[in-house]
Amino acid sequence: MQPVNLFELASQKAKWLAVRQTAVSSNIANANTPGYAAVDVQPFEAVLDQKTVSLRATHERHLASADSSTGFPVRQSNDSVPIMPSGNTVTLENELMKQGEVQRDMELNTAIVKAFHRMLLMTTKG
Amino acid sequence: MVDPLISSLKVAASGLSAQSERLRVVTENMANAQSTGNTPGADPYRRKTITFTAELDRVTGARAVEVSSISTDKSPFRIEYMPGHEAADENGYVKMPNVNMLIEMADMREANRSYEANLQSIKQARELISMTIDLMRNQ
Repeated sequence: MQPVNLFELASQKAKWLAVRQTAVSSNIANANTPGYAAVDVQPFEAVLDQKTVSLRATHERHLASADSSTGFPVRQSNDSVPIMPSGNTVTLENELMKQGEVQRDMELNTAIVKAFHRMLLMTTKG
Repeated sequence: MVDPLISSLKVAASGLSAQSERLRVVTENMANAQSTGNTPGADPYRRKTITFTAELDRVTGARAVEVSSISTDKSPFRIEYMPGHEAADENGYVKMPNVNMLIEMADMREANRSYEANLQSIKQARELISMTIDLMRNQ
């Protein structure tokens, strides 16, 4: 009885945005760490297409990796090149831009959920 | 599972404490820019340096920052001719600390900038959390 799984999709997007925010925070915190490589989460489209193969725990002694707990793999971002002599690849400006993106996407996402919720309420209240 | 937004707050907080530690070292260097020894030919204050390292949190997969070491700068001391000084050697030369004010100021500005960026990401994470909570409000 759910032709459009919009709530599911929206919650997945919210989780993905939270993971991205963590990646950006790590990059900013490590902006002065020698040898640190900037990370970013895999694009949401790729997550939706399920292109990644994730490890499965088939034994009770297997440890869950950090990726499997969130479901969104965080990788070193390949668009950045080392610019600092210390080998650090973080550019603060880029990270702040990414933060802006996350914020806008989250606003859009919550607005969509609110709108859909209103529509459902309209149907139930009559 | 730890909420990624909460762990992002923790990572940013680790950045704040690392940068404030750095600011402390810079201040120490600037305060001791004129601290000489007090016996003839004694070594003066030696400039301190700070290094960071990325610490992986295995539960969340986030990489927080930590101070890895505070060591000393091995560069040579400045020599000044001050025969009346108590730390002057037999030729009247005094070793002054190897602190360069320009370098310290630049370091301080960079620490300041990084601190502000970390503050910004804390603000952002808080906003994202409250946006999600706002979904529960009566509309």
